[in-house]
Amino acid sequence: MGPFTASVPKVMIPVGNRPILEYAVQALVECGVRDLIFVVGYRRERIQAHFQDGKAFDARITYVTQSKQLGTAHALGEARSHLTGPFVVLNGSNMVDRRFVADLLEHEDGPAVMITESDKPRSYGVVTLDGRNVGAILEKPTEVVSNLINTGAYALDPSIFPEIDAMAAEGKHDLPSVLTDLAQRKAVAAIRSEGTWVDALYPWDLLRLNTAALQSAHEVRAGTIEPNVVIKGRVTVGEGCVIRSGAYLQGPLSLGPGCEIGANAVLLPSTSLGKNVRVGSLTTVANSILMDDVNLGPSSVVQDSVIGSGVVARAGLLAASGPGEVQIEGEWHAVRQIGALIGEDVELGNGVSLACGTMVNERARAASGARLRGTVPAGAVVL
Amino acid sequence: MCGIIGYAGHRAALPILLESLKKLEYRGYDSAGVAIVGSGLQVAKDKGFIANLEAQLGPMEGMTGIAHTRWATHGPPSKVNAHPHVDCTGKIALAHNGIIENFVRLREKLQAQGHTFVSQTDTEALVHLIETHYQGNLEEAVRQALQEIRGSYAVAVVCADEPGRVIGARNESPLVVGLAPDENFLASDVPALLRYTDRVLYVMDREMVVITPQEVVITDLKGKVQSREPQRISWTLEDAEKGGFEHFMLKEIHEAPKAIHETLLGRVANLEVDGFLTEGFNSVKLVACGTSYHAALVGKYVFEEIARIPATAELASEYRYTHGAADRPLVILLSQSGETADTLGAAREAKRRGCKTLGIANVIGSSLAREADKTIYTRAGLEIGVAATKTFVAQLVVLYLIAIKIGLERGTLGYEEADRLKDELRALPRSVLAVLNREEEIQALAEKYGSARDVFYIGRHANYPVALEGALKLKEISYIHAEAYAAGELKHGPLALITKDTPVIAIAVDDPTYEKMRSNIGEVNARGAPVIGVGSEDDRELPKFVDDLIAIPRMPWVFSPVPVSVALMLFAYHVARQRGCPIDKPRNLAKSVTVE
Repeated sequence: MGPFTASVPKVMIPVGNRPILEYAVQALVECGVRDLIFVVGYRRERIQAHFQDGKAFDARITYVTQSKQLGTAHALGEARSHLTGPFVVLNGSNMVDRRFVADLLEHEDGPAVMITESDKPRSYGVVTLDGRNVGAILEKPTEVVSNLINTGAYALDPSIFPEIDAMAAEGKHDLPSVLTDLAQRKAVAAIRSEGTWVDALYPWDLLRLNTAALQSAHEVRAGTIEPNVVIKGRVTVGEGCVIRSGAYLQGPLSLGPGCEIGANAVLLPSTSLGKNVRVGSLTTVANSILMDDVNLGPSSVVQDSVIGSGVVARAGLLAASGPGEVQIEGEWHAVRQIGALIGEDVELGNGVSLACGTMVNERARAASGARLRGTVPAGAVVL
Repeated sequence: MCGIIGYAGHRAALPILLESLKKLEYRGYDSAGVAIVGSGLQVAKDKGFIANLEAQLGPMEGMTGIAHTRWATHGPPSKVNAHPHVDCTGKIALAHNGIIENFVRLREKLQAQGHTFVSQTDTEALVHLIETHYQGNLEEAVRQALQEIRGSYAVAVVCADEPGRVIGARNESPLVVGLAPDENFLASDVPALLRYTDRVLYVMDREMVVITPQEVVITDLKGKVQSREPQRISWTLEDAEKGGFEHFMLKEIHEAPKAIHETLLGRVANLEVDGFLTEGFNSVKLVACGTSYHAALVGKYVFEEIARIPATAELASEYRYTHGAADRPLVILLSQSGETADTLGAAREAKRRGCKTLGIANVIGSSLAREADKTIYTRAGLEIGVAATKTFVAQLVVLYLIAIKIGLERGTLGYEEADRLKDELRALPRSVLAVLNREEEIQALAEKYGSARDVFYIGRHANYPVALEGALKLKEISYIHAEAYAAGELKHGPLALITKDTPVIAIAVDDPTYEKMRSNIGEVNARGAPVIGVGSEDDRELPKFVDDLIAIPRMPWVFSPVPVSVALMLFAYHVARQRGCPIDKPRNLAKSVTVE
């Protein structure tokens, strides 16, 4: 997620035009959990400026700043002065639903870890079972021993804090280590849920999540819609939007406030445009996420792409979809349908074309006519 | 410039009055007081913050009352000068925001009649005046008393013999009524009411209002009933909480990108003043006070660059007392609160001179909207910190929008050029975010230079006013002596003050004066002063000339005041924080200046 987290933490990446973290907050509030403690660190101001004291979400949010990013156990430890009774722990960058939270809340006695099956267990903490209890949690094992993984969601109570302190003395600051150690001496329940738990591991996962989120989008028509605009299906048009004549909008779509859609532009499912996004005339966008303040010039084609906040592309950007290979942290991933992944504040001149699966990292710049493929490093200038 | 509250309802008045009063503390906080009507009139007041008063209160029973938080104009902050003031009989109590101009003469007359005065305030004359007119009807007595006074006021009055009634009146000081079932409120400003209701009525100049638990009646000074539609307030109380930030000021600086988004909403395509900017003027005059005046000064450069129209900026407190030239400019008045007394006076003066007037305010329904022909609202949301931050940025954004509109209407700005400028406007939230994400670097600089006794700010061109604003911020909240100069003026005097102990903040962005600025930095450097440059992030040259650098994204110079001002806000904030200053409530200052 690097190219999309230069100015915001991962939990603030938008899916269905809302930060990922909002889904967890909503699920908790729907289950009656209104006292929320956010342990924040990197770019915490962006979270605080958005969620404020929580009233807009029907919650009371207390912020605790993690002084050093040591690990999840350390993060939880920072919040201990606010925790007197049983509590649940969620990872803010996972999308969860109400059912998931309800199943976690239902567990009453003793510590519990929410587990799920995964087809990429090697990217997570793999859980071995001892009957109905946790045997151990093995972080990103090289050998696959099980397809059951730790969701990072826990039901705990304050008796965990002495355990955290004990492990910290041994230099281990992550919750899986604490719970693995505890499981040797005491039952740590492994529980499962019928609800949804999704982790966006790679940028293209965001497109899948976005499609799912847009299913429940509201139909809203605000702003100025000029004559001869066609709007079909479930489409959210935010306040202050201007949709120029001849535009064709096929839902599900979500347009944030203050967007301007040029004449004869075509927006196809399932696309989200953040705040203050401009799409030039005659441009086509399909199944993509354009985050806040993106300015996309006329006569462009953008398909199956994720475009970060503040990206400016002049006329004729070509980011069409097809099978592609993307390199992430040195590893190649084949993706069946992908356009381009363009990081925050990237600037592209006229007529730039990107091969399927191109990843342009934050603040890179490409001159007019550039043809990009593979990975463009952050801040690079392509002539 | 004080805050007043009134309550008539079915609950104990004291906790409600105190809670509401705290939301008005930004208007003044050198003394506070309450008066409650229960079994008789009970009054408590003291010097200091509201919390100080609250700590020493005994039980005060009653469901009717008034309260006041003061910012001293006549008579120093003290217990006797604190409001509410009481008449000789001890039955009538009054809280007042404003200045009674003829109070000296009134006071002499009333003293001659045997009234005893205990305070040095102008307000006390009014309560005794009401006493002389009181014959069993408080409303009538207040009405008659108001005929005899000159000046500005928002008042709330109660009488021991009339429980369940609060009388309010307004002239040139703000007053709103809050409506709720079986209880009604009076307040100087909306935030005080948000906990209890989102329905309000605005009282106009030279009007009175009587509130009881069931009823609100607005009348003019002759007693004729005025009809008024209630309005819904879209702000919520959560806007008034700090949400994890240490101070409101920091929260509000971080809300600048959102303020820009909101202010731009729907206006990039079309500003809502169609036709108004087409004709009737050949120049622009921007008039304001304080931080808004600095926005006005930036506006001068913005209008001349974008719209190619002559523009000048003037202080409202000066403009209103001078004679206008024969030329009739478009007069643009800027005030965050829309209640700034001098700016309102300037609006009236501009109209008297036959000028078109355009207001820029942040508070919807404020007096400026009524005084100016047209008003454009900045949509920065509620601002609590006394030092203006996000609202300054939003004012600049509105000035860009107006300049583009005037340029297009007058044909001095081409369509394509306007389109390019609009793209830059759309990019402003991003540029501000880039500065916010450098907060740690700016904080480190604040720590490095925060112990200085004097700090100088220099800039040129559109960033000269930004230097002025940077210095004002530092003065306001950190109490460090700061001066700002147009860099070209250094040689004409101020250079004598530059030593190795006076850090100089030099704004040198990519504008037509960049080379000149570099020479000015050289002049300062030669005197041994440490220089903190504010410049473009990709400027390879500037770092060689300065000791430290605050980087902003490169952009056309006309828009650079936006990120530069945010950088200087963060600098002032962190200097003040490090020095342990009361950032959201600096001494002697109040948020909206409703006195002249």
